[in-house]
Amino acid sequence: MIRTIGLLLSLGLGALTASADAPRLTIGVVYVGSVNDYGYNRSFHDAFAQVVKDVPGVRLLEAENVPESAESERVMEGMIQQGARLVFPTSFGYQDSARRVAKRHRDVCFEFAGDGDTAKNFGVFFGSTQAAWYPMGVAAGRMTKSHKLGFVIGMPIGYALGNVNAFELGARSVDPQARTVVVVTGGWSDKAKEAGAANALLDQGCDVVAMHVDSPATIIQTVEARGAMSIGFQSVEARALAPKGWISGLGFTWSPFFTQVAKDVIAGRFRGEAVYQGLGGMVAVAPFGAAVPADVRAQVNAAASKVSSGMNPFTGPLKDNTGNQVLPPGASVGADQMGGMNWYVEGVIGKVR
Amino acid sequence: MTTPLALGVLAGAVLSGTSLLYATLGETIVERAGIVNLGLEGVLLIGASVGFAVTAATGHALLGLGAAAMAGGLANLMLGWLVVVRQANQLASGLAMLFFGFGASALIGAPYVGAVITGLPKWRPALLAALPWVAGSTLCNYDILTWLAVPVAVLVWWALFRTSWGLGLRAVGESPAVAFASGRNPAILQGQALAAGGVLGGLAGAHLSLSLTLTWAEYMTGGRGFIAIALVIFSKWHPLRAVAGALLFGGAEALQLQLQARGSEISPFLLEMFPYLLTLLVLLAWGGSRRLSAPAGLGRTFYGMD
Repeated sequence: MIRTIGLLLSLGLGALTASADAPRLTIGVVYVGSVNDYGYNRSFHDAFAQVVKDVPGVRLLEAENVPESAESERVMEGMIQQGARLVFPTSFGYQDSARRVAKRHRDVCFEFAGDGDTAKNFGVFFGSTQAAWYPMGVAAGRMTKSHKLGFVIGMPIGYALGNVNAFELGARSVDPQARTVVVVTGGWSDKAKEAGAANALLDQGCDVVAMHVDSPATIIQTVEARGAMSIGFQSVEARALAPKGWISGLGFTWSPFFTQVAKDVIAGRFRGEAVYQGLGGMVAVAPFGAAVPADVRAQVNAAASKVSSGMNPFTGPLKDNTGNQVLPPGASVGADQMGGMNWYVEGVIGKVR
Repeated sequence: MTTPLALGVLAGAVLSGTSLLYATLGETIVERAGIVNLGLEGVLLIGASVGFAVTAATGHALLGLGAAAMAGGLANLMLGWLVVVRQANQLASGLAMLFFGFGASALIGAPYVGAVITGLPKWRPALLAALPWVAGSTLCNYDILTWLAVPVAVLVWWALFRTSWGLGLRAVGESPAVAFASGRNPAILQGQALAAGGVLGGLAGAHLSLSLTLTWAEYMTGGRGFIAIALVIFSKWHPLRAVAGALLFGGAEALQLQLQARGSEISPFLLEMFPYLLTLLVLLAWGGSRRLSAPAGLGRTFYGMD
C-alpha cells in the first residue's frame, strides 16, 4: 500500500520533469528490491545509469520494491501510461504479469530477466554465472591457507548448486586439497541467518567465504569483522564492504546489452529474442582486493578468459560427492541445463536434500 | 583451527539469542499486565529500521540504539492508546500493529538500504581472550546489549516480583477489577508495562540491524517476534526462564547452521524445522500445568467499575 503510494508519487514526479524536454525513448524498470542493496538490484540500476549516459534522449522510470504480484502489473501499466516504450521486469516472479501486459500493448517492447517463450515485443535475457564461478574458485584455492572454503546459499536450487560446483572445481584445479563447505540458510534474504551461517563456517576453519544470496552485504561484513576473506556476488561494488578481506567477485554487467536494446527500440528494429551471456558478456569479474598477489591475479584472469572463450567446467568425467559418476567422459552440462542440476561435485561438503 | 561443536553452538546461541531475549522480556512485562501484543514483530521491525536509519544518518550507533528504544516504546504506547484508552480488541489491534510495523519500517528504512554503518562497539575482556578456542571465535566478544542481556532479565524479574509496582502490575494482569478495588489504576500500570515492553522490543530489533547483520532489509526480523511470543509461553511468563528459552531457541538455529558447516549428513530441511518442533514439544509437555498458566486477565479488556 505504502509502496504503491510512493510509486505513484515517483511516477508523477517523473512525468513533471519529463515534460520540459521530450525524450526519444522512455524506459520503465521494475525492481523487486531496493537499488542500494549492493546486490542484484544495484547491478541493474548501475547498468541503466550507464544507458542514460550512452544513449542520448533516454528517460528512466524506476520503481523499487515492487512485489511479485498483481501489483507489478499495475506498475507496468502505469509506466506505459507515462510514456514507456521499453519495459524491463527484472525479477523472475514478474513473468506472468509482464506477459499479460505485453499482450495488451503490442507497441511496447519488453525485456524480461528470466526465461520462457519470446514474442515479437517480448525478449528474455539473463547472465549465466555458473561457469564464471570457476575462476573465483581458482582465486579462493590460491588464497586459502586452511584448504577449507565456505559457501552460503539461500536455497539448494540447480543454479546455486552449479555456482558451488564450478567454484569447487576451480579451487581444486589449483589446490587438490581444497574443500567447499555449503551452508543453506533457507531464504534468499534472511540476514540474521546469513550472519550465523558465515560465523559457523569461520568456526569450522573456513578462511574464504563465498555466497549466493540476494545481497552479499551481511556475509561480507561478518567475514571482514572476523579477519577472513570473501568473494562477492551480484554486484561488483560489494568490494567496498571489505577493504581488507576482499579477494574478488562476480557481478552482472548488463549495460552493453541494455544499450543495444535501447538503440534497437529507437531505430525500430527490436526483435524479441532469448539472450544468455556468461563471463565476458553479462557477467564480469570484479576488481581484485589489495591482498591478492600479482601471480594469483594472472592465474585467475587466465582461467576467466578460458571460460569466456568457451571452456565448460561441467565436463565429464565428474563424480558427485557421494562417489557416483554423474557425468561420463565427454558428457557435459550446458548453461541452459543448470536449473536441473541436483548434485554436488566431489569435494563439496554438503547435502542437496 | 576449528571450534568444537558445543562452543560453536553456544557462540551462535548467544548472538541470535540476544534479540530473542530482549523481545521476550518486553512481551513478558506486557502480558503480565494482561495485554497480548501480537504485533511484537512489527515493534522489532520499527526498532531495527529506526536504529539503522539514525545510525546511518549520524554515524553513532549508540544514538541509533537510543532512538530504537524510544521508537519501540512509542509503538507500544500507540497500541496502548487502542487497547487501554479506546478499549479495542487486543488481538485485532495487535495484528494491526504488526502490519503497521511492516509498512512503517519499510518506509523508514528505504533510504538507508545499502548504507554502510559502524555497528555497536564490541568488547572482550583480555582475560577471556586468553582462553583456548575463545580468541578465534565470536565467544565473549559482545556489544553492550549482549553483555547486559542477563542483568536486564534479572532486573525485570526484580521489578515484577520484588517491588510494589510489580505486584500491582501483576495484579492488573490477573484481575483488573481487584487491582482497581485495592486502589491501583489499571490503565496507568498497563501503559507503563507497554512502554517498558516497547523499549525492550525496540532494543531487540536494533540488535539485529546494529550488531548482528549491520544491514537493514525489509522484514529482516524473519519471524523472531513471533518466536518471542512463543518464548513467553515457553518460559511461563517468567523473566529468568526466558533466559534459558532464548538460549535454547538461539541454540537451535545455531545448531542447524553449525551442523551444516561440519558436513553433517542430516537434511538441511529437517534441521530447519528443529526450533519449531521444540516449541511444539514444550507446549505438549507443560501446556496444562495450572501453576504455570497465563495471567488470568490476559487478553481481556477492562471496562472500568461503573
